[in-house]
Amino acid sequence: MGVAYKAVQWNRQKFVYDIILLTTVVFYLFFFEGISLHFSSDLDIKGIWIRAFGSAAFILLHVILSIGPLSRLSPKFLPLLYNRRHMGVTMFILALLHARDALAWYHDFGNLEPIVSLFVSNTHYADFIRFPFEALGGVALVILFLMAATSHDFWLTNLTAPVWKALHMGVYLAYGLLVGHVVLGALETNTHPLLTLAVGVGFVWIVGIHLITALREAQKDGAPLFGPPAQPKVDADGFVHVGSVQDIPENRAKIAVVAGERVAIFKYEGKISAISNVCQHQNGPLGEGKIVDGCITCPWHGYQYLPESGISPPPFTEKIPTFNVKLQGDQILVSAKPNLPGTPVVPAVIGQV
Amino acid sequence: MSRLDSHDEFFIGYLGVPPQLKRFLLGLIPVLVLGALAFAFILPPLHFDHFNLGKRTKVPEFEGLLVGEPSPHLLVPRTGDVGTVSDFSLYLLSGTGKTSPKPKVLEHVDKWVKLKGTPFHRNHLTVIATKSAEPIDRPTSGPTQPAEGSSLGEFSLKGEIVDGKCYPGVMKPGRTKTHRSCAIRCIAGGVPPVFVVHNSVGDKLYFLLSDLDGKAVNDKVLDRVADPVQITGEVVQYADAFVLKADPATYQLL
Repeated sequence: MGVAYKAVQWNRQKFVYDIILLTTVVFYLFFFEGISLHFSSDLDIKGIWIRAFGSAAFILLHVILSIGPLSRLSPKFLPLLYNRRHMGVTMFILALLHARDALAWYHDFGNLEPIVSLFVSNTHYADFIRFPFEALGGVALVILFLMAATSHDFWLTNLTAPVWKALHMGVYLAYGLLVGHVVLGALETNTHPLLTLAVGVGFVWIVGIHLITALREAQKDGAPLFGPPAQPKVDADGFVHVGSVQDIPENRAKIAVVAGERVAIFKYEGKISAISNVCQHQNGPLGEGKIVDGCITCPWHGYQYLPESGISPPPFTEKIPTFNVKLQGDQILVSAKPNLPGTPVVPAVIGQV
Repeated sequence: MSRLDSHDEFFIGYLGVPPQLKRFLLGLIPVLVLGALAFAFILPPLHFDHFNLGKRTKVPEFEGLLVGEPSPHLLVPRTGDVGTVSDFSLYLLSGTGKTSPKPKVLEHVDKWVKLKGTPFHRNHLTVIATKSAEPIDRPTSGPTQPAEGSSLGEFSLKGEIVDGKCYPGVMKPGRTKTHRSCAIRCIAGGVPPVFVVHNSVGDKLYFLLSDLDGKAVNDKVLDRVADPVQITGEVVQYADAFVLKADPATYQLL
């Protein structure tokens, strides 16, 4: 949890995760080559590998992009999110191998440097149908490289979680570019309906599941689909009513939007505490976490914070903002003004007015 | 918020997977893995142009007449009774990369040569990736002088310009947009451009391209490579090949 930047903090889950991931990739490539040669032993092997690497990366990208929204819809998918960065790096390596082979195969042995040839051989940048689809793949690869290169927690901490997260949101730009790369390249050449259908279904799935998740999140926040978000009613003492004690299961939280920010209000051992919903690690949703061993535990990677202070238990040092809380009967009121990260707050005791 | 179950299981990566969640994953992960692997079986047969792909054959040496225009090619005399077909087979020539044959080869243009290289062929279109050529004496038997080209008239043909090296077999299938940049590099480097036309019954016809003076058009067709184009010009039969003579400026993008 950030006490030292060890290269990789391995554990059994990660080993199992990586073994399944890499075995699947190896078998995919092996089967792809075997089936291709079965249909025509005269196909050039380089061409087969270019397609195998490219399709493997594209399929894996769909899996990666599905995990986030699925985990928001059901915590059952959280184990897939746990080590998703390794999946991302694996996908980048597959994309890199695809690009390397394509660059060498199509652009080497000519009268220009291959990388120059990539961008100047086809220059119909203003033409949709004739557009040089290779450039779209090239730009996407740069984005994927930046993400893979900064995937380690060292970069997460030094860039700060919001910057790191914003950088990794670039995956959506990369996905858009790669859909264009595939549609204007492989699909324009190979118009088999099944291939077109597969890419279309993949695109609709990714967009659809993100929209559904976004709508559900907005619904939970009580935010309207259009127009400015509703402002919670702040009382004279600067507190906002966020619901009843009965709304919250033991050792769990209710997430409420207070002063434009999501706050996680936890119930545990007859007490109520409120902290920022945003984990310091990857900005995970702490309000979807649980109190484990007396600590609020993030559902994404198990980062922990003491509910009374928002500080990670020693020797860890992460801090998040806390909120003052009070009870009126069984109704919970949370201060609209966050305290500085790590500020101790006396929890509200249930049944004590 | 949805919960796993009434026991409120909670996954923490470094602690292990709770039992009910483990059961869910034991169902989900195999489906996910098999789903991904299914694409390895579905995608390869969807690849276009699995048939009539080019082939590399091991014929190390050819003897014939080296001709320079419109693109370097070798005319190899046919032996035996050839009936009504041409006395010569025409083989396109390229270098070993995306290039024309080396200057040391081209200095023997209009001479009889023994030529070494790797032949690739697709249907009746053959290109030799030329390694070397040395002059030889004109043969004393068999056909030694190819006939002049004979005009078959003016035609308007729809097809695709490919490079005469990848398409015959170096790369497979070596055509359409995914191959455009490679074909441009090949043709810019001196590989003969070839116009591929499908006739009404689906047969492939190949035309060498030349300008109105019978000269090479390589640098003038780069902008039209791998696109559907219509070319109108005079078709001249030369040995067992067709040459389509037209001004590249008149090529029409379809």
